Amino acid sequence: MSEPLRVLIAEDEALILMQLEFLVEDAGHRVVGSAATAEEAIRVARETRPDIVFVDLQLRGGSSGIDIVRALRGERAMTLIFLTANAQHIAPDFEGAAGVIAKPFTEAVISDTMSYLAECVYRPPPGRPVPLGLQLAPAHPVAS
Amino acid sequence: MERDDAWHMTDDLMVEDGKGDPFAAAIRATRMPMIVTDPRRDDNPIVFVNDAFLRLSGYERAEVMGRNCRFLQGPDTDPNAIAQLRDAVSARRDIALDIQNYRKDGSPFWNALYMSPVFTKAGDLHYFFASQLDVTDRVDAQARTQNEKEHFEREVAKRTRELSEALAAKTMLVHEVDHRVKNNLQMVASLLSMQTRSIVDPSARDAMKSMLTRVEALGTVHKRLYQSNDVERFDVAEFARELATDLVRGSGRTGISLHLDLEPVEVPVEKAPPVALMMNELITNALKHAFPDNRPGRLSVTVQPDGRYFGIKILDDGVGMPQEIVGARSFGKRLIESLARQLNASIAWQPGKPGTLIDIRLPRDSAAGKDMASGTDSATGKDGP
Repeated sequence: MSEPLRVLIAEDEALILMQLEFLVEDAGHRVVGSAATAEEAIRVARETRPDIVFVDLQLRGGSSGIDIVRALRGERAMTLIFLTANAQHIAPDFEGAAGVIAKPFTEAVISDTMSYLAECVYRPPPGRPVPLGLQLAPAHPVAS
Repeated sequence: MERDDAWHMTDDLMVEDGKGDPFAAAIRATRMPMIVTDPRRDDNPIVFVNDAFLRLSGYERAEVMGRNCRFLQGPDTDPNAIAQLRDAVSARRDIALDIQNYRKDGSPFWNALYMSPVFTKAGDLHYFFASQLDVTDRVDAQARTQNEKEHFEREVAKRTRELSEALAAKTMLVHEVDHRVKNNLQMVASLLSMQTRSIVDPSARDAMKSMLTRVEALGTVHKRLYQSNDVERFDVAEFARELATDLVRGSGRTGISLHLDLEPVEVPVEKAPPVALMMNELITNALKHAFPDNRPGRLSVTVQPDGRYFGIKILDDGVGMPQEIVGARSFGKRLIESLARQLNASIAWQPGKPGTLIDIRLPRDSAAGKDMASGTDSATGKDGP
């Protein structure tokens, strides 16, 4: 078993955040931080250097997940995934994020996505197919 | 005595006109108001008016002879029109224009004025000839038309603005509601998911897990609804792909291979939730009962159009539906029957040799459903929307 992925979750709904934390840990990975605003997410990401950042679009206090992606897309070894009920509002190039998971998601999609991302990070290119619920960016930075 | 050919000479203004001059007689008698002024005299006074002009203006002949025409002007006469007339007189050229004039009693009228200089053969300017025509009705009608046009244009612009604003507000509201629905479905799923984790009793845990997959199936319906461009139609085939893949993955069973044979079938959006829940129950059932003791197997899901109907087939090569499951009055079974009634669907459970084949046939459109329902609806009685 490869090392667990380190995950940051930017999500302002406490219940959804809890479920995501469970699902990430169930899949054998570690949640290293969470944030309810864009500003906090950017700060925590730079402190904790996660492998994966899940980014909700509408965050607390009117802040936007797009700002998180724009701020962090240049960071080395950090894969950004939108996780949002507003998937249709994301620009076609995903602003530099690697992929989008549309809400509502199923537990299977999150667990498949974690397995897929683990392969991307530790054994690229991934052998398994892209999970149905995960839409990759056209530029596909995950596999690179 | 006048010469017989005097009328031939009326082109020549130097010839004195006489009673025999048919042109002079015509000008005197015509209904078209006409005047002649003499620019050689001081202030270009009127030297001839016909009766039609007197009728139009309301003046007596003695009141206008010898006066400049400007007495026809009044408070609402356009200064630009006056300036144009003055310029034409001093430039000795003809002019046609509509000008607001006034009668003796002060009432205004729109005068379609035509004025032209009259030169001698030698090129000397002797007269100005002017004809007038009361075109008040025409000008008023034009002004009315113009006013109405501007009024309508303003109204249309205003209405268009109101509609654009209403549409923008409605679009924003739809997006907001869409976002809320999806987020709330996610939160319901989160609650069920977390509660499931804390339950030790296996059957209670199973029941909770089943509820989670039902809510997830509804969530997938909503997610797909707003991903497509057409918010009124729902593709059963693409939904089936996502649902079946999720359920097989979510079951944690690795030995079960999923085979999909899907042709696009679009149904009205209101059918999406019951179709989704029914498929969810049937596939979940197959995964739960067909392959006991972790035995491997094959599960295939088919979606096929069939005229005004479409078919969903779920085939497993497992142990076959045990009689106690087929005949049981479980919640899942009752759910399937209710949803089938709502959809006017027929469901056949058949031996799959090996395994089980579930064969569902249901109307594609609500209209087809009603035709078919006319017989069965009264029997079941309570198929509401």
